[in-house]
Amino acid sequence: MSSFLLEVGTEELPASFVSSAIQQWQSIIPNTLAEQFLNTEKIDIYGTPRRLAVLIQGLPTQQADRVEEVKGPPAATAFKDDKPTKAAEGFAKKQGVELDALEVRPTEKGDFIFVRKTIPGRSTAEILTQLIPQWISKLEGKRLMRWGDGDIRFSRPIRWLVSLLDDAVLPIEIVNGSETVKSDRISQAHRVLHPEPVSISHATDYVKSLESAFVLVSPEQRQTKITEQIQTAGNQQNGFAEIYPDLLAEVVDLVEFPNAVVGNFDAEFLKLPAEVITTVMVTQQRYFPIFKNAEYRELLPYFITISNGDPAKSNIIARGNERVIRARLADGQYFYKVDSTKPLESYLPQLEKVTFQEDLGSVREKVTRIQKIAEQISEQLQLNSETSNNIQRAALLCKADLVTQMVGEFPELQGVMGQKYAAASGETEAVATAIFEHYLPRGAGDKLPETVTGQVVGISDRLDTLIGIFGLGMLPTGSSDPFALRRAANAIVNITWAAELTINLQQLIEKNVANFAAKFPKTNSTELLSQLQDFFIQRIRTLLQEERGIDYDLVNAVLGENDPEYTERALQDLLDVRNRADFLQRIRKNGQLDKIYETVNRSTRLAAQGDLDKQELEPTSVVDSKLFQKSSEQAFYDAIVQLVPQTKASQAQRNYQQLVDALSNIAPTVSTFFDGPESVLVMDENLEIRRNRLNLLGLLRNHARVLADFGPIVKS
Amino acid sequence: MRETVEVLNQGKVVNFQSIIATLNQFWSDRNCLIAQPYDIEKGAGTKNPHTFLRALGPEPWSIAYVEPCRRPGDGRYGENPNRFQYYYQYQVLIKPSPDNIQDIYLDSLRALGIRPEEHDVRFVEDNWEDAAVGAWGTGWEVWLDGMEITQFTYFQQCGGIDCRPVSIEITYGLERLTMYLQQKSAITEIQWTDDVTYGDVHLQGEIEQCTYNFEASNPELLFTLFGLYEQEAEQLIARGLVLPSLDYVLKCSHSFNLLDARGVISVTERTRYIGRIRSMARQVAQLYVQQREKLGFPLLRSQPSLQSHLELVS
Repeated sequence: MSSFLLEVGTEELPASFVSSAIQQWQSIIPNTLAEQFLNTEKIDIYGTPRRLAVLIQGLPTQQADRVEEVKGPPAATAFKDDKPTKAAEGFAKKQGVELDALEVRPTEKGDFIFVRKTIPGRSTAEILTQLIPQWISKLEGKRLMRWGDGDIRFSRPIRWLVSLLDDAVLPIEIVNGSETVKSDRISQAHRVLHPEPVSISHATDYVKSLESAFVLVSPEQRQTKITEQIQTAGNQQNGFAEIYPDLLAEVVDLVEFPNAVVGNFDAEFLKLPAEVITTVMVTQQRYFPIFKNAEYRELLPYFITISNGDPAKSNIIARGNERVIRARLADGQYFYKVDSTKPLESYLPQLEKVTFQEDLGSVREKVTRIQKIAEQISEQLQLNSETSNNIQRAALLCKADLVTQMVGEFPELQGVMGQKYAAASGETEAVATAIFEHYLPRGAGDKLPETVTGQVVGISDRLDTLIGIFGLGMLPTGSSDPFALRRAANAIVNITWAAELTINLQQLIEKNVANFAAKFPKTNSTELLSQLQDFFIQRIRTLLQEERGIDYDLVNAVLGENDPEYTERALQDLLDVRNRADFLQRIRKNGQLDKIYETVNRSTRLAAQGDLDKQELEPTSVVDSKLFQKSSEQAFYDAIVQLVPQTKASQAQRNYQQLVDALSNIAPTVSTFFDGPESVLVMDENLEIRRNRLNLLGLLRNHARVLADFGPIVKS
Repeated sequence: MRETVEVLNQGKVVNFQSIIATLNQFWSDRNCLIAQPYDIEKGAGTKNPHTFLRALGPEPWSIAYVEPCRRPGDGRYGENPNRFQYYYQYQVLIKPSPDNIQDIYLDSLRALGIRPEEHDVRFVEDNWEDAAVGAWGTGWEVWLDGMEITQFTYFQQCGGIDCRPVSIEITYGLERLTMYLQQKSAITEIQWTDDVTYGDVHLQGEIEQCTYNFEASNPELLFTLFGLYEQEAEQLIARGLVLPSLDYVLKCSHSFNLLDARGVISVTERTRYIGRIRSMARQVAQLYVQQREKLGFPLLRSQPSLQSHLELVS
């Protein structure tokens, strides 16, 4: 068994490419080896900013010989009178065998000639030589580049290659224009801790040889080391270092020999909002902040940087970083001071110069539209005048911080700074909080706005984006959703559900589609409306199924299957559609659904052959008792009469338990209509009788429809 | 080179002008032409024709120069310790990019008295794009103990044209670098010489220029100028005069930056202005390549191995 090492040495790779390349190799390398019938015992993939490497262990020295069967022409053409024809001779020649090696064997399509060939296994070295260029060229990345005078594209220039089959160099070369990189056993070590190259004597020595030259090639090892170092550093300052997972992942691929260095800054800077300080640390400097306690709110005046330098020089490195963060925080302090010299409201005119979207105009125009939608929502929610005024104020100011210097410098502080500056400008707490909250949730798993002011402004902002972008025909497709419209629609639904807001989304969409169409006269309002409805229904469907765990058939039952009535109902009352879905799931679990399923589902399916209006609940004008032939019909009729007041009460109170109880009570009566001595044939030859019976079924369906469309429900 | 390091380590303060002199000497020793700044306002050393045009086409090119940059919108009346609307870049452009360019760069730091072995020097991904001139490249910002002191870019496209061969552009932020070496916390405190500070030289001008950019400029006049410069650029492009066209494109670009700083460019106008500049910049880039081709790419004489690229391009 052999071991093989490939190291591709490069100039510093982007951190994101290192992790993505490792991941890609984890499938490319085993797959291509398997295609060549090479089994391995172990494949380890390594990467640092300056190298990607793979160590393959337990490789055979060559492929096993294989027997391959090749099918030739039909026996009838290959042999005439037991003599081989030209066809047989040609086939044998092509396959490089003697005529007597040909065999005749039956197949489904008659007798054919075959030849069995032994294919000698190729040497592993030969196969690797072929595969390696593919491994390198198959790696995909966001922005590949060319360098020098060549045409090769890679994430960063390739500068050396190590290729060792056990202890021998396997010759490989990469030609890029006038330069050629040839494989050797020489690797480059840490830039400053070990400027001399390292010679690797055997493939399996790789990790050890580089570790002795201050390069930890395993990202997992670096990650473990960094995590320990950060925790220790935090403890040493009597605090708690916060380890942000994304930052950790990036830092792991920014260093070859990690060493945590702690620096400090003037406690005076702690007067700045903590978010400003952590943003400077994390986004600009890739530092880890240290907090006073495990609540991670109050900062200590320290930072941790993961250095790639000499641990013995930690002091110099700390002092340098301290000067950088001091300058950065001084910038922050300056921005904070300048931004605070005037009230937040005075930034509004500058929003006219910030584009929201080319055709939809400036952010200032967007703000006016947000205010309008917020006003409509306030009316729907019947909020008192104080709250409505706060909402209007928050809507007006919600984007003003975009043109402050601080947010200009740190875009991720949008909303955070708005809240601080609003408070400093003497805005009420409700307004200030709402400015921050209207951006919530900022991503999956983020918190939702807690105040009604924040909720209403957040919904208005997103609805405006949805209508505007849909109006321009820029609907999200597949994975392309540049305006994050799916996330926006999900947020609207989730906020409404979490805060139990009785908004009428249907009405909001209609009104604002009309406003959009007034501004863009070429708009096809009917189409736009239905696109938005479909989009929201799709979002609700996904949320019910994926986040609330509702069975798909029950989701279809409450949302209908392309049923405009259910679409509108859902959008008119988002809480009700959620409650009905939850309720159905509950009665499926407790068995109540089973009790009514048979009768209601059967009625629903049969009633589809009739023409009863789906809104009709009263039997008096649509069923004629004179046409009854069996007692079960009268019983059905009486049951519906009894059902009417219960259904109406249930509908008015959105109390579906009452309806299900009532449906459950009449279920035995309805069954006699279908089965047993008194049962009837619905599709009677007499069309009047048939219609009368279909209407009875239609009535039952209509009563059940107050809860859901039972058609799509499958038997539990 | 050793000498320079020792001089710098003898406890003497490295002043601003000696840093420039050191870099000039360093890159001159490595076969770069040492050029002078271009005499038209621009936002970055990249827009100097020594880079913007010379990065195009097959001819080799190695050059280093100081470039004063104007970014009207970045002005802070000299109050922000780290941000001026007028500042200096030290720009190096080498085509094709050499194999050992990172090592050469680290040597340039040694020449300035920075011993990489004593610091945390990092090459952190930072790609560059200037949509207004149809240019982009990949590269890094170089961190020295957490401070960004240099920008490294492998030019992939310029004026919408593929760069073949690829140039490497190295841009040192001179003020940052000096502040680091002199341990200063504000641009104004930089020692230009032992007796004169950066503030002495530039602060009053900085304040006045900010007043001009944000308050005193005449937007109507600037709009008119933009139009006139654009007309001139177009008629020069039509005549195939490369450098004069580029001059007027640069003037358009600066007028636009002044208008933008003044806050008088509306949302829809903004994209349109940038589009107008980009279209002219692309035409100039194409004209330049055609012109060099007509001249037979004269600089290829110094590097015959690049002859093959001639065929690729034409």
